[in-house]
Amino acid sequence: MRVRLVILAVVVVLGGALVGSPAAAAPGSAPPILTIFAASDLAFAFRDLIPRFESAAGVKVTLVLGSTGNLAKQIEHGAPADVFFAANQTFVDDLVAKGAVIAETRALYAQGRIVLATARTAGSKLTALTQLRDPRIRRVAIANPAHAPYGRAAEEALRSAGIWDAVRPKLVYGENIRQALQFMESGAAEAGILALSIADAPAVEWVPIDPARHERLDQAVAVVRRSPRPELGVAFIQFVNGPEGRVIMKRYGFLLPGEF
Amino acid sequence: MLSVILTKQLPGFTLDVRWDSRDAVTGLFGPSGSGKTLTLDCLAGLVRPDTGRIVLGERVLFDAAAGVDLAPRHRRLGYVFQGYALFPHLTVADNVAFGLGARPRAQRRRRAAEVLERLGLSALARRRPGELSGGERQRVALGRALAPEPALLLLDEPFSALDLPLRRTLRDDLARVLREWGTAAVIVTHDFTEAYRLADRIVVYDGGRVVQSAPRAELLWQPASEAVARIMGIPNVLHGTVVKATPDRIQLRWRGQTLEAVNSPVRSYLPPPGAPLAFFIRPEYVRLIRKDRVVADPRHHMNLMLGEVVADEDFGTTWTLRIRLDEPGPPAQGAFDLEVEVPHLVYEILEIERDRRWEFSIHRGSIHVLPA
Amino acid sequence: MDLFPLWLSLQVSFVATVFTLAVGVPVAWALGRRTFAGRDLLAALVVTPLVLPPTVLGYYLLVLVGRRGPVGRVLDSVGIELAFTWKGAVLAACVGSIPLLIRAAQAGFETVDRRLEAAARTLGRSEWSVFWSVTLPLAWRSVLAGAVLAFCRAFGDFGITLMVAGSIPGRTQTLPLAIYDHVQANRMPEANMLALVAAGLVIALLLGIGRLVRLRY
Repeated sequence: MRVRLVILAVVVVLGGALVGSPAAAAPGSAPPILTIFAASDLAFAFRDLIPRFESAAGVKVTLVLGSTGNLAKQIEHGAPADVFFAANQTFVDDLVAKGAVIAETRALYAQGRIVLATARTAGSKLTALTQLRDPRIRRVAIANPAHAPYGRAAEEALRSAGIWDAVRPKLVYGENIRQALQFMESGAAEAGILALSIADAPAVEWVPIDPARHERLDQAVAVVRRSPRPELGVAFIQFVNGPEGRVIMKRYGFLLPGEF
Repeated sequence: MLSVILTKQLPGFTLDVRWDSRDAVTGLFGPSGSGKTLTLDCLAGLVRPDTGRIVLGERVLFDAAAGVDLAPRHRRLGYVFQGYALFPHLTVADNVAFGLGARPRAQRRRRAAEVLERLGLSALARRRPGELSGGERQRVALGRALAPEPALLLLDEPFSALDLPLRRTLRDDLARVLREWGTAAVIVTHDFTEAYRLADRIVVYDGGRVVQSAPRAELLWQPASEAVARIMGIPNVLHGTVVKATPDRIQLRWRGQTLEAVNSPVRSYLPPPGAPLAFFIRPEYVRLIRKDRVVADPRHHMNLMLGEVVADEDFGTTWTLRIRLDEPGPPAQGAFDLEVEVPHLVYEILEIERDRRWEFSIHRGSIHVLPA
Repeated sequence: MDLFPLWLSLQVSFVATVFTLAVGVPVAWALGRRTFAGRDLLAALVVTPLVLPPTVLGYYLLVLVGRRGPVGRVLDSVGIELAFTWKGAVLAACVGSIPLLIRAAQAGFETVDRRLEAAARTLGRSEWSVFWSVTLPLAWRSVLAGAVLAFCRAFGDFGITLMVAGSIPGRTQTLPLAIYDHVQANRMPEANMLALVAAGLVIALLLGIGRLVRLRY
């Protein structure tokens, strides 16, 4: 008898579960949802920007941050993104070639910068890349160069300063640039190379790195082909490139189309 | 009518048997490991023979050549396993009702209750097998197998798990149940007394083969060979030499004696003079001759011998004596020649404890020749 | 405090455990009770998810059920989407937890006395009935233990889920993924909160099941 009750309970739970997905919004009765896949360097900037867009456009936004390479891979395999903001161009162009994004919507939206950051708990601020060799700097956080454009820029900068081999044993790779910052915030790394747009965190101090030391971080965006409401993605891109958006992007250190 | 022909090859063991039986109860008797349980499993359909044919009444249960192999659930056999294999997670009532699946619920309950009643298990209906004694479990296993009214009941060593006095009682109970219910049965046992008490026909197994199949009395008095006699545990299996053989008598030489025995009535057995001969003498048929008789009369007392009691054992109602003959040479069975069984009363009257030398005689009909 | 990841994880784990049982119990029975061609291969296949790194498993699953994959395309044509949905999370959780269930259940089935099953056959039961009325009731504790293990494994899955379902907040971000996300963004109070709630819930569940099991015979 008990066995039957248990089975009945399971069936009820199962039925309820399969009927509804917890995130399902009744179609038509709630505001449309825009899913943005964005590189982690946009974490702070978009945190500021998105609420304004939501109230301006009457749209609900789901923001998914990650490293550009990982996000691109997911989109390639059908992830339900509406629009993709990358931290470089090549990943977007790759998706264009594969037909995963709408070629006509591809555009540059910003150019990024990298900075040399020191954790405030680690002592005096580093002012030059070569100082990373200092023994008091035991670990250096960067984003993973394999799939994060800011990580690759960091590697390029270290190589150009001639200290890649010396610093390499001390490197810790964040899965994306935001995690590199987190390594520094948690004290796991004393120094790091971060995106300018997220470097204004209380736990770190920073100095700029000469942009000549690395390939330009021209950041591209595109609307994803499978998006059911591509016009929403376009609207958001226009917002980012619009007057309100540009002010915010500039505040976080991005160079904007027209300036580079 | 049960007809069994089957072979089965297993690593290190070959079963190759053929027997049939019209009797109500058939006993499969033989030493452990001789293939009796394997035969039951083949009968039940739990093991598939390599070749052969099994027919029960009108129904063919298995026929290798014709590709017939009924699944166990279609054979309508009851099986009481060694160790009983009762379902530990079900009550006694549910165990007994287990095989009644196809019927409506009320009918199942009624039949189960009826079976429990007839086996004296009603009071235990709600208990679990783990709470029962050995005898109670055996009855539940029996009830479970009988409840669906099988055409044939198979029992594998039904009493081996029980202690001796219980064994006797339950043996008689089982004999009664089988008679009352009228169900034909095949019983496996390695105990000859059990086989004799329960079965009408006994099939003797040895090393995967049948060495004799006979009604029980015939087996008792006329084992087909020395090997069968040994399996049955008959004492006084002895070896002599033929002096002369005629269709109804055999004269033989043993331990310096010339003995006269009746010839085997089952088959004409005429070994030439000088041939070796095996024979047995049942211990209870050796007569000690009272000493107050004047002289032993050879016409009255056959096969007279003289000997000394060298050992005796008290079995409560009988005494077993071991006698060594007054003959030179080593005794036939180690330290003694013959085993003799006398009732307790005789032992006391004859004062055997004190008086160890005796003449004794054996009627020629009590010396059984074992064909080679 | 957004507890959506918690509810999502609970839902995913329950559903995954039901599917794991539905698939795993028959496989465990076949491995424990039957000999057949390819049995060894099946046994090895069952162990594989325990041995392969979760991201490798997740990658192969994604290749299979993603929109461009062989299975994904078929499902897409009938309107079923697995990758990057909560159903994909269920699939990921199942793959990770099936081996645990099968090992526990198989061990349980193997200890059931074969003669009891033989007795049931002679008493007129089909193989299916033998399983339901004898084998399973005698092995239910092992099956339950396996199911509990499977549930916990499903609840805590990270790598496979991340690959197959992604970490989309409000959609497929299960509790382990949410905790990781909070940590990445240095939102430690939220991370701690979620972790504590999760741990508390799972412990309560295990205690509850322990009680239930002991109350039965």
